[in-house]
Amino acid sequence: MASWLLAGLRLPLALGAVALAGYAVLFAGPFDLRILTLCGIYALLVLGFQFVFGHAGAVSLAQATFFGIGGYVTGILATKFGLGFLSTFPLSIAAPVLLAVVVAVPVLKLEDHYFSLATLGIGLVVLLFAIQWSDVTGGANGLPGIPSIDIAGFVIADRRFVLWFVWAVVVVGCLVSFQVTRGLYGHAFHLMREDRAAASALGLNIAHLRFAAFILSAAYAGAAGALMAHVIHVVSPENLDLSLMVTCLTMTVIGGRTRIAGAILGAILIVYLREWFRVLENYYMIAYGSAALIVLILAPYGLVGAAERLRRMVFGPSVVKPPSALVHAQPAVGSAHAEPLLAVHDVTLAFGGVRALDGAGLALREGEIVGLIGPNGSGKTTLLNVISGLYVCDQGHVAFMGRDITKAPAHEIARLGIARTFQHVHLVDELSALDNIAVARAAFDGAGLLKAITTCGPDHGLETARGTAMAAAERLGIAGVVMEPCGGLPYGTQRRVEIARALAMEPKLLLLDEPAAGLNEQEQLVLADRIRSFAADGITVMVVEHNLVFLTALVERLICLERGRVIASGLPDAVRREPAVIEAYLGLGNPAVFPLKAVTS
Amino acid sequence: MSLLQLVINGVALGAAYALVALGFVFIVNATGAVNFAHGDLVMAGGYVAVSLGALAPVPTLILLPLVAIIMFVLGLALALLAYFPLINRPPSTVFISTLLCGIILQNAFVVLFGPQARAAPPLIASGAWHLGQIEISVQALGTMVVAAVLIALQYMVFARTQIGRRLRATAEDRQMAQAIGIPAYALIAATFGLGTALAGIAGALLANQFFVYPTGGISLSVYAYIAVVIGGWGSIAGAVIGAMLISLFQVVVSAYVSYAVATGLLYTTLLLIFLVRPQGIFGERVQRRA
Repeated sequence: MASWLLAGLRLPLALGAVALAGYAVLFAGPFDLRILTLCGIYALLVLGFQFVFGHAGAVSLAQATFFGIGGYVTGILATKFGLGFLSTFPLSIAAPVLLAVVVAVPVLKLEDHYFSLATLGIGLVVLLFAIQWSDVTGGANGLPGIPSIDIAGFVIADRRFVLWFVWAVVVVGCLVSFQVTRGLYGHAFHLMREDRAAASALGLNIAHLRFAAFILSAAYAGAAGALMAHVIHVVSPENLDLSLMVTCLTMTVIGGRTRIAGAILGAILIVYLREWFRVLENYYMIAYGSAALIVLILAPYGLVGAAERLRRMVFGPSVVKPPSALVHAQPAVGSAHAEPLLAVHDVTLAFGGVRALDGAGLALREGEIVGLIGPNGSGKTTLLNVISGLYVCDQGHVAFMGRDITKAPAHEIARLGIARTFQHVHLVDELSALDNIAVARAAFDGAGLLKAITTCGPDHGLETARGTAMAAAERLGIAGVVMEPCGGLPYGTQRRVEIARALAMEPKLLLLDEPAAGLNEQEQLVLADRIRSFAADGITVMVVEHNLVFLTALVERLICLERGRVIASGLPDAVRREPAVIEAYLGLGNPAVFPLKAVTS
Repeated sequence: MSLLQLVINGVALGAAYALVALGFVFIVNATGAVNFAHGDLVMAGGYVAVSLGALAPVPTLILLPLVAIIMFVLGLALALLAYFPLINRPPSTVFISTLLCGIILQNAFVVLFGPQARAAPPLIASGAWHLGQIEISVQALGTMVVAAVLIALQYMVFARTQIGRRLRATAEDRQMAQAIGIPAYALIAATFGLGTALAGIAGALLANQFFVYPTGGISLSVYAYIAVVIGGWGSIAGAVIGAMLISLFQVVVSAYVSYAVATGLLYTTLLLIFLVRPQGIFGERVQRRA
């Protein structure tokens, strides 16, 4: 318990919370009680917004809309139908969630700016509805006379009790948020936000993750909006307009995008700042905007992020012991089937006028190590992207273990057992190397939203994943550095983290994109040994490389691509002698055997 | 009103919107970032025209160069404050910083000019020509001419001059542009200046007929954003066409239903467009480079 409390920012946060709670209970006057209640409501709104903006990395501008809808549902049901809190509150959460589900289909597949604009458009349509549909919503003046919270006849009217009730809901919100983000499921969000290509190549369903984040944000906003309606006894179009959205965004940016403490700190700070700056009269919004801008520039991870970094600078990083490796029983190596493991047939893909792939075809047998070579721009990486589902080819088909995967999405292909690495490092800098590897298990070990919320005690899914990750790290010789954040590791080590991550998926087929780039000869030998050991475990490996020395010693077969089609395939020495290959690399009319050293880069 | 009259009104408004969208897409292209203060900068241009008009009672046309220069400087200030400190952060950060700058601007307008709407002097003179049933105000015609000249001018600069090529290179890939000796930062700052100057001129043109008021910029930011999205992200011609479509939609539809309903229909149409074509009307479907 003591060591848990001393880790990270927990001690100062706990002390601050105790001090604030003590102040609220003992000293706060009516004004402070009201302000602190508002802080709680905004904290809830921001906690929800963190899912979509912080964890999923999508700038949604509909958060205030969901908040307003929650408020209006409570207002309409309470004033026109006389319903109590026990029915209005769940319905106020359900209504914005329903809207989120309906709009999610067209909106969530949009990227970046298009997503922001679409959510903004939804907000403006709802705002117009609230103003125009005055019979029900009260129009521009809103709906007054919303009663206090009434739980089955027990009315919470006293300001102190209202404060406690609101903060009790906030605590529940914090717990759910903690549950969702602490385990393997939360880690999946980090990778999905930072790098979509890598996330889907690890089998993560990005659409599902974004959907979950969007729905959660709507639910929190609905709850916050309902509480707001009870506390200020009125709902008006102000509850869902753009300035509320800006306030929510500002609180999230200032507090911290992914930290629970950040949501609470941001809410309290901004609500109080606004009250303090009110003495500036007309200038207060200017001062408020400037303060937010300064924090945005100086503290990229919000105030909580800045405090975490400061603590790390002063006290050094908290040392955590790496877990022990968890070695799974190797799946029995299947007897070599007659049909190939992977069959790529006549694949064509054009980018505008450029035909990156032009009828490329190849077949891999189970358990073999194959090298894929070809001059720059010959389509090697594009072919890898087509196989792993990041691109969909225009023509042709791809089959894996007899199953057609031509049009399958990347995450499904990954789940079937195809793992890959990238030419450029695709890792999350802030996460430790171990957790970067452990994310590979998220798609396989059933890390879902409901499971994450209902997990009590330690997250066994995460522990198992870390054990598996440790085993993969040991095989790549990086066990000593796994607890360090990936961003600080040398480039060569980062590449090995990537291979370990692919390995942790326990794939049947491993696609490596230029794994030897930047390694010296000694390191290349070690890498070749490791790749052979993967093959010995029954993993089929295809290596994209320029380095022929490395490949010739490693692979059983070479395949050479040129202008998007396979021009040679066979034993390494035979391929090197192939006139077409020599011509592709060196130009026409050079009779020599393709020299080994010339392309060793 | 006849449909032809509505279309003429729509094109006149669209000419001003096109300038707004043009400035917006400049900054998008140079930085990859959305400038959400853009609409507020349009209002700032309107307020500059109002202030200058109060100092010197001459037609706004004569004041336009001065408006452009003042707004250019304001654009540089915006770049220094809201873009350069955040240059290595994700584009959404710039979205937020410009949003905050917009809030600051809106409240500065309240402090300096009060919350009520203000009007700038006409471009040349008030009055209108009549062609049978059709009426064209001098202001509307002037707006169209000024917008057409500026759009043609920017096309010449971007397509034909060395500085235009450098600007496009910077927009395409900042690091690569720097590597071949293009002063990318200076060009980005200049783009902010130019984009803001265009916004300011649009504001000065709009400020006579449509007034300026502190919160008037928000919807203009959104219109510019929509124009660029339906025109295809980053396409200059697409932005101009998108702006025209928006204004035509607004003017024609609001003749039959209320203005609020027309605006609601505009956003609903936008959402429906996204449902069918997630890449916008004119956007080309390209696979993400992984």
